[in-house]
Amino acid sequence: MSSTITKLNAPLTQAFDFQPSSELHLTPTPTLNTLIQQLAGFDTLTSALEYAAKGITGYNFYDAKGNVRSVLPYKTLRQNARILAQRISGFDLPGGSRVAIIADTSPEFVELFFACRYAGLVPFAMPVPVNLGSHAIYVQQLRGMLESSQASIALANIDYINFLEEAVTGVASIRWAGTPGKLSELPVSDVVLQPNDPDETAYLQFTSGSTRTPRGVVITERALMCNLQGIVRNGLEIKPDDRSASWLPFYHDMGLVGLVLAPMVTQISVDYLATRDFAIRPLQWLRLISRNRCTIAFSQPFGLKLCTLRVRESDLNELDLSCWRAAGIGAEMIRPETLRNFSEKFASAGFDESAFLPCYGLAESTLAVTFSKINQGCNSLKVDSKTLIDKKLAVRLQADGRKQNEFVNCGRPLPGHIVKIVDEDGHQLSEMMVGSVLVKGDSVMTGYYNNPEETSKALRPGNWLDTGDIGFLFEGDLFITGRRTDVIIVNGRNIRAQDIEELAEQQPEVRSREASAFGVNGEDGTTTIVLVIECRLTSTPERQSLVTRLQQLVYMAFGVNCVVELVPPHTLPRTSSGKLSRFAARQGYIQRTKLVDQLSFVESGDR
Amino acid sequence: MTESNYDEIMQLLCDRLRDLASTDVLITPETNLINQLSIDSIKLLNLIMEIEDTFDISIPINALTDVQTVGELVDLVHKIKTTSS
Repeated sequence: MSSTITKLNAPLTQAFDFQPSSELHLTPTPTLNTLIQQLAGFDTLTSALEYAAKGITGYNFYDAKGNVRSVLPYKTLRQNARILAQRISGFDLPGGSRVAIIADTSPEFVELFFACRYAGLVPFAMPVPVNLGSHAIYVQQLRGMLESSQASIALANIDYINFLEEAVTGVASIRWAGTPGKLSELPVSDVVLQPNDPDETAYLQFTSGSTRTPRGVVITERALMCNLQGIVRNGLEIKPDDRSASWLPFYHDMGLVGLVLAPMVTQISVDYLATRDFAIRPLQWLRLISRNRCTIAFSQPFGLKLCTLRVRESDLNELDLSCWRAAGIGAEMIRPETLRNFSEKFASAGFDESAFLPCYGLAESTLAVTFSKINQGCNSLKVDSKTLIDKKLAVRLQADGRKQNEFVNCGRPLPGHIVKIVDEDGHQLSEMMVGSVLVKGDSVMTGYYNNPEETSKALRPGNWLDTGDIGFLFEGDLFITGRRTDVIIVNGRNIRAQDIEELAEQQPEVRSREASAFGVNGEDGTTTIVLVIECRLTSTPERQSLVTRLQQLVYMAFGVNCVVELVPPHTLPRTSSGKLSRFAARQGYIQRTKLVDQLSFVESGDR
Repeated sequence: MTESNYDEIMQLLCDRLRDLASTDVLITPETNLINQLSIDSIKLLNLIMEIEDTFDISIPINALTDVQTVGELVDLVHKIKTTSS
């Protein structure tokens, strides 16, 4: 923490570039533990950490060059988190109060997260800013989360504290905001830390970049423990000699639950690379896996694509990926080519394609819903395109030459979970019929925090979670065929159409319900965001100014380019209740631009 | 390179951006990276990697949030370069 404080006057430098000389030769935590491995089965996060702290494994953080930056054994994590919890307890907040933390890949974040649990508070991770020119919009997004969660405390390290201080201004619920360094100056209260109850909220997970309607998923200790147990026992079959490597952001469910919490509840070591460092030099992740003989590492398909694009032949010689037994793939729809390209490229570096482990999940079900069978690689099904579109039915391809779609087998639900496919009226469909994917089980959220409207859209009667995804079941295995039109996935990022429309509607020239956003797919599988606006402006410079401004705003908020189309009023199709239909708006756009082969089955039905 | 002055950095970045840009535009310090050059996230990552390697610096992610134009990017690189060497 002292190194953080010395950097107070140098905001441009990463706080962790500075290392006292005594820390120059850090040794990462070992793979093999001195403790008998327990595969989850704990009742709360803190009880899991109390056990893990008896061993010698833990978390390791690496810099962009691949050097160990800091080491946080579970034992130290427990000590530091407990002391921090006693400092936070000095605020005397009611149990369950929310604590917001800007989550970069750092030991401080993990310590604060567990400190909150020890103190009976509810932490949540906020993203780091990643887009060019995004300062103002990022601050708005932070403020949206702080207000929606009614957070009492907000924390950010020295690199992000300026943004946080701007964001907390005027947020009435905030009692204190500062850096971990400042928190460490507060007195340690003599409060006796109490064990948590399985029914209390463990954390919130925000899933939307909206400034007006952020959605914080409420996950209880029970849901978390249930999901973790399924992941580590049934999904991954974790063993004592496993070790993980991860670049996934701590503010995403897969990064936090899958690669921070799951390793801890099985007492295995993890090697972390910051997301930014991976994005710029993706091979550093593979080098970590190779050098530390890591066995488990997850990625979105986009991360694998980055590795495939960036690797040079000379890099392959220095890599040995034969240790990698579980290459988990999730968080966006999986295209088989992405995996094939990766395994072809890295086969000579020892990568075994049977390590591919496609899975399906979402933050609203803690993390995981289904896992394919471990050690079986990626299996897919080729189905006839025409039958799929015309009849919403997946028929296995009988003859070559017909137009086909290939879908990845995402496997079966974790124990205690059921997946069903329903039609637009909510009736359950039989196998091979394509419809909305619904999930039920103990991992499902209790709702979105303080947001009954969004909660009632996502949780249907009987506590069935509507995932927003479209797919079918075949012999009990789940195949995802697409998303409904309310979410657009670009380069691995999930972007809600509603959030883009909201940005547009904040412009003085755009009235509410006159903007529609959706994604169109290119032949190479890339997705482009299209924003159609009903526009009354007639002068060319004014129209151009609106288009440019909208493109810039979308880029700042979501880091993606978009196409803006201005159309005359009353062009966008509406439903009988006056709501815009994104599906129909997309069909209209495709017809206007003559991209007719885009008219597809995969995205239908607006939420 | 050990010593870089402002003009050198400007020249290097303009050359590089001309290659990356999808459209044929004249690049000036006022050129907007986002809506005039359409630098998407993948191009941006490539650009940052090249800048870091060329100038032997590390660009903190939080600093890019205040960069929208070519001039602002050059200012940032120059500032980091002069404070780190």
